[in-house]
Amino acid sequence: MGLLRDWNYIEKAVQIPALSEVIREALIRALFVRDDRVLPRDLIGDLNRVPPVTVKVKDDGEVRKLVRVLNGQESTVSLGLSAEDYHYFRTQLGVGRTREFGAVMRPRILLTYDWIVPEQRGVQLDFNGYAGIEFADDAHRAIAQVGATWKQLYDGAPAKGHAVPFVPTVPLDFAIGDALYGDAPFASYRGEFASHVNALRTISPFGHRARLGFEEVANNGTAYDLLHATVPLAAEFFIPVAVALRLEAKPAAGKTLTYAFDDGPKLAVALDKLSRTTQMPAWAHVTDAVAAKILRPAVAAEAFTVQVSVGGTTSGLAPKEKAIDTAMAGFKSKSAEVSNPFDVPADAFRKTADTVVRSLFVGEVRVPAKAVGDFITKIRALGDQSAAKAGVYASLRATGTVSTFPFFAAPKDRSKVYDLSKGVRAIASRIPGAALTSRLAHLWEEEPNFMRRMAFLRSLKVTIDTAHVVQPLVSP
Amino acid sequence: MASLDYAYRRLVNTLGPERVARSEFERMVYSHDFASLPKIALLQWKLYPDFVALPQTTEEVAALVKLSDESLLQITPRGGGTGWYGGSVPNRGGVMIDMRKMNHVVAFDPDGRKVTVEAGVTWKDLEDFVESKGFALPVVPVNAIGSTVGGAINSGSSGFGAPRGGSLRDAIAFLKVVLPDGTILKTASEADADGHLANLTPLFFGAEGTLGVITEATLRVVAKPEASKAVAYAFPSLAAAARFVTDIVDSAIVPYHAAVASRDHFIFERALRPDSPDPADIAIVAVQGSKEEVADQERSVDVLAAKESGAKLAPAVTDPLWRERYDNYSARRLSRGLVTSYNLVPVGRLPEAVETAIEIRDKLKLNGAVQAFLVDSTTAALVPYVLMDDTRPSGGTALGFVKRMGDAAFKMDGHSMGLGLFLVFNLRKMHGRATSFISSVKVVFDPRKKINGGKTLEVWTKYPWPGLRAIPPPGMAVGLEIAAVLRRAKPTRDRFVRAYEHGKEE
Repeated sequence: MGLLRDWNYIEKAVQIPALSEVIREALIRALFVRDDRVLPRDLIGDLNRVPPVTVKVKDDGEVRKLVRVLNGQESTVSLGLSAEDYHYFRTQLGVGRTREFGAVMRPRILLTYDWIVPEQRGVQLDFNGYAGIEFADDAHRAIAQVGATWKQLYDGAPAKGHAVPFVPTVPLDFAIGDALYGDAPFASYRGEFASHVNALRTISPFGHRARLGFEEVANNGTAYDLLHATVPLAAEFFIPVAVALRLEAKPAAGKTLTYAFDDGPKLAVALDKLSRTTQMPAWAHVTDAVAAKILRPAVAAEAFTVQVSVGGTTSGLAPKEKAIDTAMAGFKSKSAEVSNPFDVPADAFRKTADTVVRSLFVGEVRVPAKAVGDFITKIRALGDQSAAKAGVYASLRATGTVSTFPFFAAPKDRSKVYDLSKGVRAIASRIPGAALTSRLAHLWEEEPNFMRRMAFLRSLKVTIDTAHVVQPLVSP
Repeated sequence: MASLDYAYRRLVNTLGPERVARSEFERMVYSHDFASLPKIALLQWKLYPDFVALPQTTEEVAALVKLSDESLLQITPRGGGTGWYGGSVPNRGGVMIDMRKMNHVVAFDPDGRKVTVEAGVTWKDLEDFVESKGFALPVVPVNAIGSTVGGAINSGSSGFGAPRGGSLRDAIAFLKVVLPDGTILKTASEADADGHLANLTPLFFGAEGTLGVITEATLRVVAKPEASKAVAYAFPSLAAAARFVTDIVDSAIVPYHAAVASRDHFIFERALRPDSPDPADIAIVAVQGSKEEVADQERSVDVLAAKESGAKLAPAVTDPLWRERYDNYSARRLSRGLVTSYNLVPVGRLPEAVETAIEIRDKLKLNGAVQAFLVDSTTAALVPYVLMDDTRPSGGTALGFVKRMGDAAFKMDGHSMGLGLFLVFNLRKMHGRATSFISSVKVVFDPRKKINGGKTLEVWTKYPWPGLRAIPPPGMAVGLEIAAVLRRAKPTRDRFVRAYEHGKEE
């Protein structure tokens, strides 16, 4: 997602004498909003440049060939283009120039915003056409090509006896690959998206097929777990083309329990209590009234709605429901009839997603369940101050952390995104245990341990991608 | 390289004389881990450390690591020494850092559901502590009595609770690590930020102590279940018991633990403890939840067991079996040593896997048993063990079993676990073309290979001279394959149980 490139750019930029006097945050803001009163115009021009060539991937062999061309192992002749296309390709890539060029992956949908320092030259890979899913017959797993949508996977699994436990907290029509080179917020109650990934099929910066992890089994005790260390940033080290996912058996019976709460403190207590039980629902999704209105326009929105997906044996469902009811004490009403955002026909899902995506999102804020009511109140106050009505989508984890996605009814203007991100970060910093994890938050963070960890990741990237092909780092 | 006497004085100045050992006997204790090694291994490696250091704080560990810049001695971190493949055994002597004096609970945060412990705390002690506070650990490694927190993280362990609690990797909030340059690093953000904010923890999970010395771990804890119950069944065959476990997964029941053990395991147990269960192929399943849920899960599991003709064992048999769950290798007392092979295989192939393990054991004319347990919805751990007597000339050939089992696991689309000093040849089989990326991690963190060098990625010998300094990993594979062939050529089968019974009669 270009995070290392952005971070590297900022780190290098603040070392340049001409820019070192500009304080770090002012520089980040100027870069983010493309402020030509602070930065030279030619730099702004560079920042606004997008990769000139887009390749629609149909086969991973094409990616291999392309990578070998980009890292100089093969000539552009081997791409087998017509003379006219060949000339266009070389001109656009800037072949023969001294500047590095590489490959970037284009997410199907970006929840927040694209990278701050875009790829300066090179090829953008569009994986939307590379979208096959292969479900295993003898085990609960699937291999999804990165262009396959989550909805395709979710809807296809039950027919094969599987269940997909992870869902997008913000219900957009994400591709599976968006969790690797975008910001798709997939997670289940029991774990983050990475914990459901057994392996990645990738193309290495040298054009080889390389598999990280094991498609059939977990990756334990096999030296450094590079797979799980890089999952959110995998596309900065390799070009992922398919994901081996660990699914679960389709339960004999399932139900979505919907609880309505009329205030934040009660919601917070209930979520905290649920996460302190031994219950293991597939997911627990939370919306405030604004978000609920978008997801279910025909239903009167409650202040807060929690939907919990439970599954199990037919006889086991009742005790589970009873235990969850006990944990969720304090709810105003309960229903098992309200539809959830995920188990709807694909067309309806996409239609809702088209509405959801219009809001301005600043990224994920991780909040302890106990503090979620307080957090939402503060987000609303921020929205009111900024003349942008605020709402929240969230999901609960078994760890007691709520993954929240605040959104605002505002145009997706870069200055607005920046200012609201800053406001949300200020709120998160006042809540113990909370953290904004967006790309801007990474750039703002200056804690010494974090800086060292990022430096290690940068070194690792440079060591793995010695050919500087996969989202190459750019220095100002 | 500074003289050993000088290095000793510097170590003593750092820790005091009572926490630095250099006597022959003490060094010998640290020259092997849980697996026994034939004496011939001493020709290849300097398995005895030059010194054993017992630090008590992270700062002392950092000082020891910095000292190695002066002495140029290798650093080998060690926890409980319950590993199987030499990950915590020196290959060129050097300084052994025994972490077991760092065995305190540093902090417990019931609101944040986290416990911070020093790396030398054993899992059993930690489990007892956490339970005394009304919580539970999501995952507890199999050898919880001897295994330390740092040791299990370094070996990428799994164990009890994994089907519900997930991977041990996910149970780690962050680690405090002394890096090869002597600096201290927190591997992730203190906020629960998932993989964001540069989470390097997974790199240290399974790293076998080659990237740095883990000194503290902050782990997540979970709610103590309202009710839990263990049920056990005797099956007509081990494959039937394994099919029962796969049926549990397919029925969407998520147990706390599900394991099988072969009849031979209980024969060994019976030889040692007359009150152990009647030998049979047994599966044990533990379920958790509310009282109603536990009852419902037990009924569902009963139905699945009946499908495979499993006979339910009485609580009087099952309860002690579950209580003694961390004591898996008491059979070691029947021989002079024990060799374990730890592998992960697809759940769907578990019946085939247990039969393959028995077949390999029989072909090699070994005494041993097969154990396996569920890791998650796709994975089962296959952990057979064989007995060996390393004082006999044929004893060391039992190590060939580990090689053959690893090969079988790869054939079944799984993999062996652990690389250490002896199984480095499996690295390329595991990762194929991604091996170079995996190796890059060591280059970035420890370019001078100070910490536990010559393991996991390569096999150093004790000789520092070019040409002899390392063994090509396939060479180790050939050596173990020869051991297996010799073992197969042995005319008679080992009879440890009979020898033991005979000894008792006398």
